[in-house]
Amino acid sequence: MPGIIGNFVGSSAAAGSAYGLANDGVNIARYVQYFATNSAGNTFDQMGGATGASDALGSVWAMHYFGMGENLNKMVNWGMEEKKWDYVGVGYAIRAFSWLALTNMYGEVIMREAFRPEQLVFNYDNQKDVYDTVRAIGRLALDYLNKTGDNASQANLAKGDAYFYNGDVNKWKKFVYTVMARSFNHLSNKAEYKPDSVIKYALLGINANDDNATCKFANTGITGTSNFYGPVRNNAGALRQTEYIANLMNGLNSRFTGVTDPRSFYMLRENTNGTIRGIKPNKGASGLVTADQPQSFWGQVFSSAAAPVSDVTCRYIFKNGSPFPIITASENKFMLAEAYLRKGDRSSARTSYAEGISLNIDHLNTDYSAGVPAPRLMTPAAKTAFLTNPVVVPPAASLSLSHIMLQKYIALYGFGMHETWVDMRRFHYTDLDPSTGVQVYADLVTPSGIDLFINNSNKLVYRARPRYNSEYLYNIAELTRIGAIALDYNTKEQWFSQK
Amino acid sequence: MRQIKKITWLIMLPMLLHTMVMAQTSIKGKVTGPNNQPVSNATVTIKGKAKASQTDAKGEFTVMVSKGETLVFSSVGFVSKEIKVAEQTIINVKLTQDEGLLEGVVVTAMDIKKNPRELGYSVQKVDGDDIQETQRENFVNSLQGRVAGLTISPTSGAAGASSSIVLRGFNSLSMSNQPLFVVDGIVVDNQSVDETSDGGRGIGLASDRPNRNNDYQNRIADINPSDIDNVTILKGPEATALYGSQASSGAILITTKRAKTTKFQLQYDNSFRVSQLTRFPETIDQYSNGNNGIPASSFRYFGPAYGDTTLLFDNVKLFFRPGIAQTHNIGMDFGLKNSFFRLSGSVFDQQGVVPNNDFKRYNLRLSNTTKIGKYIELMPSVSLIKTENNKVLRSAGGYMLSLMIWPNKNNILNFEDPVTGDKLPLFSSNPNADYDNPFFNVYNNVGKDVTMRATTSLGININPTSWLSVQGRFGYDAYNIEGYTRFHPKSFYVSSAIQGTLDNYWRKYAGYNHTITATAKKKVGDFSFRGMVGTMWQDYKTQMYAITGNTLSSTESFDSSITAPNSRVRLLRNYFGEYNKQILRQFAYFGEAAVSYKNMLFLNYTHRFESASTLPAKNRNYNYPGGSLSIIASDLIKPLKNSDVISYWKIRTSLAGTARLNTPYSTQSVFVNNFASGNGFSYGFTNANPELAPERQSTYELGTEFRLFRNKLNLEATYYNTLNKGQIIENFRLSYGTGFVLNTQNAASTRNQGVEITLGSNVINKAKFGWNFQMNFNKMWNEVIDMPKNVSEYYIADTWLYGNARGGLVFGGPTTSITGFGYERNLNGDVLINPTNGLPVVEQLFKIRGDRNPDFTLGINNSFRLNRFRLNFLWDIKVGGDIFNGTHRFLTGAGKSPLTADRFTPRVVKGVLKDGRENTNPTPNTIVVVPALNDAYYTNMPEEDFIEKNVNWLRLRDLTFAYALPKNPFRDLPGIKTLEVFLTVNDLVLMTNYTGADPAVNGNTAGSRGVGGFGFDYGTMPAPISFNFGLKTSF
Repeated sequence: MPGIIGNFVGSSAAAGSAYGLANDGVNIARYVQYFATNSAGNTFDQMGGATGASDALGSVWAMHYFGMGENLNKMVNWGMEEKKWDYVGVGYAIRAFSWLALTNMYGEVIMREAFRPEQLVFNYDNQKDVYDTVRAIGRLALDYLNKTGDNASQANLAKGDAYFYNGDVNKWKKFVYTVMARSFNHLSNKAEYKPDSVIKYALLGINANDDNATCKFANTGITGTSNFYGPVRNNAGALRQTEYIANLMNGLNSRFTGVTDPRSFYMLRENTNGTIRGIKPNKGASGLVTADQPQSFWGQVFSSAAAPVSDVTCRYIFKNGSPFPIITASENKFMLAEAYLRKGDRSSARTSYAEGISLNIDHLNTDYSAGVPAPRLMTPAAKTAFLTNPVVVPPAASLSLSHIMLQKYIALYGFGMHETWVDMRRFHYTDLDPSTGVQVYADLVTPSGIDLFINNSNKLVYRARPRYNSEYLYNIAELTRIGAIALDYNTKEQWFSQK
Repeated sequence: MRQIKKITWLIMLPMLLHTMVMAQTSIKGKVTGPNNQPVSNATVTIKGKAKASQTDAKGEFTVMVSKGETLVFSSVGFVSKEIKVAEQTIINVKLTQDEGLLEGVVVTAMDIKKNPRELGYSVQKVDGDDIQETQRENFVNSLQGRVAGLTISPTSGAAGASSSIVLRGFNSLSMSNQPLFVVDGIVVDNQSVDETSDGGRGIGLASDRPNRNNDYQNRIADINPSDIDNVTILKGPEATALYGSQASSGAILITTKRAKTTKFQLQYDNSFRVSQLTRFPETIDQYSNGNNGIPASSFRYFGPAYGDTTLLFDNVKLFFRPGIAQTHNIGMDFGLKNSFFRLSGSVFDQQGVVPNNDFKRYNLRLSNTTKIGKYIELMPSVSLIKTENNKVLRSAGGYMLSLMIWPNKNNILNFEDPVTGDKLPLFSSNPNADYDNPFFNVYNNVGKDVTMRATTSLGININPTSWLSVQGRFGYDAYNIEGYTRFHPKSFYVSSAIQGTLDNYWRKYAGYNHTITATAKKKVGDFSFRGMVGTMWQDYKTQMYAITGNTLSSTESFDSSITAPNSRVRLLRNYFGEYNKQILRQFAYFGEAAVSYKNMLFLNYTHRFESASTLPAKNRNYNYPGGSLSIIASDLIKPLKNSDVISYWKIRTSLAGTARLNTPYSTQSVFVNNFASGNGFSYGFTNANPELAPERQSTYELGTEFRLFRNKLNLEATYYNTLNKGQIIENFRLSYGTGFVLNTQNAASTRNQGVEITLGSNVINKAKFGWNFQMNFNKMWNEVIDMPKNVSEYYIADTWLYGNARGGLVFGGPTTSITGFGYERNLNGDVLINPTNGLPVVEQLFKIRGDRNPDFTLGINNSFRLNRFRLNFLWDIKVGGDIFNGTHRFLTGAGKSPLTADRFTPRVVKGVLKDGRENTNPTPNTIVVVPALNDAYYTNMPEEDFIEKNVNWLRLRDLTFAYALPKNPFRDLPGIKTLEVFLTVNDLVLMTNYTGADPAVNGNTAGSRGVGGFGFDYGTMPAPISFNFGLKTSF
């Protein structure tokens, strides 16, 4: 089980491979403009897909089918045999999460025929069926998590999930509820979308930072026990903050004009001028003078991709031992806020929205203050000032989807790129808010012209292709059927974001 | 222990000598054969007594006899002669050749000696003297070119390098293709450490590495070449059918030297070697560091040209040193009554051409032959071996690549601070971001192996009656290896946060095997019958304890205690204090029935029943037949019988089946360690298969043998065809929908065919002058004839050394193919050009881009003899076969290859624009590129460009010039009987169209599976030219 937990982020099972959300997150974060590369020419900065024989963006595929794969099946089977219902429940909970993460990345996936060790080729299933399965497995997970007695025991479960929920089945239940809420929230463009379903499950879900689903790290100096984005793993050397996130937090974005976000020195890096600036995708230093160029997330100069020996100069999720959030209470609150707003309950929406920001600030203060320059540490007064600033938290009547999605964008910065990508795709990156007529992701400029990858045929990215070395060598017939052979398959919109 | 044994023998020696001086009359003489040629090593016995003597190189002998006794002169290939002793003191004997036994006897499977006439398959024999004469310490390297159908691929020219051996091409795609080694009837281990441990479940290193930048001796190389009397090569499965699945890739039978008489003999020889590395990939030196014409502190040379005044260093020359080696061999024969002993020892001490690369080997062997009573013969032996190998890294991460691209303005000798000993910075203040100076690399990224080995064997022959013989061969072979590999904390190859890594391992091998056979013979009229039954038991256990860790607290020690405790990773069972084990047990019984008619028609049938521990219970027992027919046409067809042209003509054919086994434990998916926080276990990559069945191999062989012009010319030709069905494919990839990454199945089939021709001639055979000639021709072709339809490529991961080229296998393609990236082309075959930058579009798909299999190979050996001079030389010719020159691709991308010399010449890449009309109305490319200013021109070049097609070589492998000193100068030195001085040169001449250093390359070690890494060149050090000189004497 620790291995399965580790797999959320980036496992290090056999042969030290790194499968998981954080690995593909490096590229998905480029799609959503969390990160960009410090030099031009990165395919993913250009919203390109994996090309040739590359396994890029195939890490979640490997996480689901191999990393968790038979291990989860075995865990569930053993749990059943030994009547450890909590293990069975946790197994299903993780599987529900994993199906959802998988399909949101790839769209059509192998579901009915998955985990057949003797089979040579595999058929794909529709995304709708996968969404239904997520909920079915989620309910199964809840049934078992609710089942006490026999050999279910907190102490024994904690042996498995010490670095996650430490044996607390109630937290696992909340995890499942929030996964269910996500599955309903993702369908906001559909006629059958019901905000009440989101609200019902989100209220039962993760609503306190203490319940956050977070992968923790033993940080013993080997890759497997280290955060994927820390210097030991050496995966974030060339990543820099984008202009988009920098401007959202330094007051240059039109939605939050003039407001300096107190969280900026936690999440982002200053330059030698002491200001927060970011780069544009595929533009390298983007014309910033040297003194304006942001440091690397490890505190190195802009041009250096090198990992420092020690992580004292690192902050946030970029330290070797920093916990890596999977789902936070803050995200759950923003889901609630969106659903309330869509339902028309503006006052509840505003409350949830403010709670989302507040929980995020608390979360940063608790887990990520290490390395932040002392004058930049958030005081309670700074938090209050921020939350009472009407530019940030407007009156209920003026709260817009744009506020919610942008604050959610900030709150999920650096770790929640998978969910942010779902959100952005729901709004087709640049959709206008029908009620206000302004772009929901205010000021967002998507790559175009030579900054948009050549294979995209001028379209934005909507999915990742399945892992090359799993599918493109051995499952060609089925890929051909679903159209995955096309070079612009990465631009094919998925079912979940369609009307 | 060894010390005590040595002393014991020294004490016994005088006693043995004493017994020899009690005889009565001394008789001298000379034994000659046709044309008055001396017959050496002929046995001279006294009829009815065990005592015997042997003739020396000049055919001369001395023996003590009493009057009236009868001397028996015998030698293999000659008719024995008896002479009664009267008053003579000199007896000269002329022996006549035994036509029926001209080739002597050959050793076949199960250590059974047979007359070559009756064999329905091809066997080839190499004399121990020829092997020793090459002075190659790894004796398998001396076999190249001497046997048709045998291919040796040494991993590199480093001291202690491994060599992989393949007989008759590649049959198995994912299992070993190495033959079985049998010494005096005992199976002896020839594993190389395979660094892959499959997530800790295997017997590789704890860091689970891919056999690319380290090397481990192939263990058969532990044998002292001077102990070898001869080597017999059994190529096809018909020949090895009796050895079963372990010999499905053929068998190499080694017969060691044994004392044949009680006569005291002492031999000593030595050899001193100087080696020099002379072959390097070509590089250019006129450009400074930079990218796209702009200076930069990078290891690329696309900066401006150096000015005339820039001081440049010849770093390649500064780096290598002359290799030095010396060998001393001593052999002693002695005996007591019916017990004959041979004691031999050898010391080999080599300093390689690469600094800090050394190899030492010590051998000691004692063998004995004792006759008990009339019927029983016992042949025990024991050998003790110790090797020590100081190793440096090779290929990726090795010194060679960084040496080739080291800035030539920088003197390579300045690599460490003379005071602190720290790595000197070149471009970066962070030492881990700075390439390792090759000197820093070889002194700091180091490895070492120490092996202690003991092999004991016992042979028993019982011949109670003239028609029945019983043989037993029992052997126990065991060794321990202790080794490490260390990456220095400041090395480029580890990140600064890792602070160095250290891999330690302790490997133990113990193998026991025995074969017991009983043979009965009966002659009825013109028919002869032979029946044999036997049993074989094999039990091989390899164990590994391995640990890896980082954050080294010391750079002086290589003990794993210097790694940070929390960073240590072990193999799975090592966590419980136990070794990881791999045990293979196999039990077999077998039989043979043979009938012959008038010594000219031979029909043979064998059958073997085998049970192997590696297979699931239901598939564990299997059996296979073998059959052969041999016709001596020259006897059968009357007019040929006394022909002057055709003295001997044999036609033979054989068919056989055999099996090949899976790796132990590949029938069950297992958990491996999980190194995530909290640890625990998870499934490894591998989907094991509980339904696995043995791989089936069936072969037929057709051959003919001629001896023409009164045995002046020998010609032998063989065609073989091997079908491998239901191949056990381990580690092949499928959709992860299986729940795994790698799979294990009986999946593919291959067909492997070949033609072997051997032509030999004793051209001139006069008393003063002789010329012998032998030629071995080999041509093979092979094909993957079945693979699951959805698997577009199966590859051996080890071969994916560099860039995008690897040993991939494709349905319908050859088994030796190279797959890689190439140019994207339109339907017309024109290269497509990217309209935005004028560079070709690379097709990023692994397609077959080359075939490593040569068109043919040819070994030509000539031996001349003139009076006291001897001259032997062996040419090794290879025609065809492709090589992926990864080194060249690396040097091209770095701006060091001659290909980049004309970088300032503007050019238009020939092709058509990829503008959507490439197939309908193609637009020819007109975009001008100046590579110097856009170095992507070079880095964009796909692997297809670096696969060199039809690489040929002509190589003078071994050249020996020897002179036997006349007796005169040593009259006064008592005891010296012969004294010869020699000069042997290895790899003196290499002519090739290959642009790299040496086309005989192997990107992986002998530990790699399947077809392995031959024909993949990436930073491999070629074999140096070696001059060996020394003397050979006997007392």
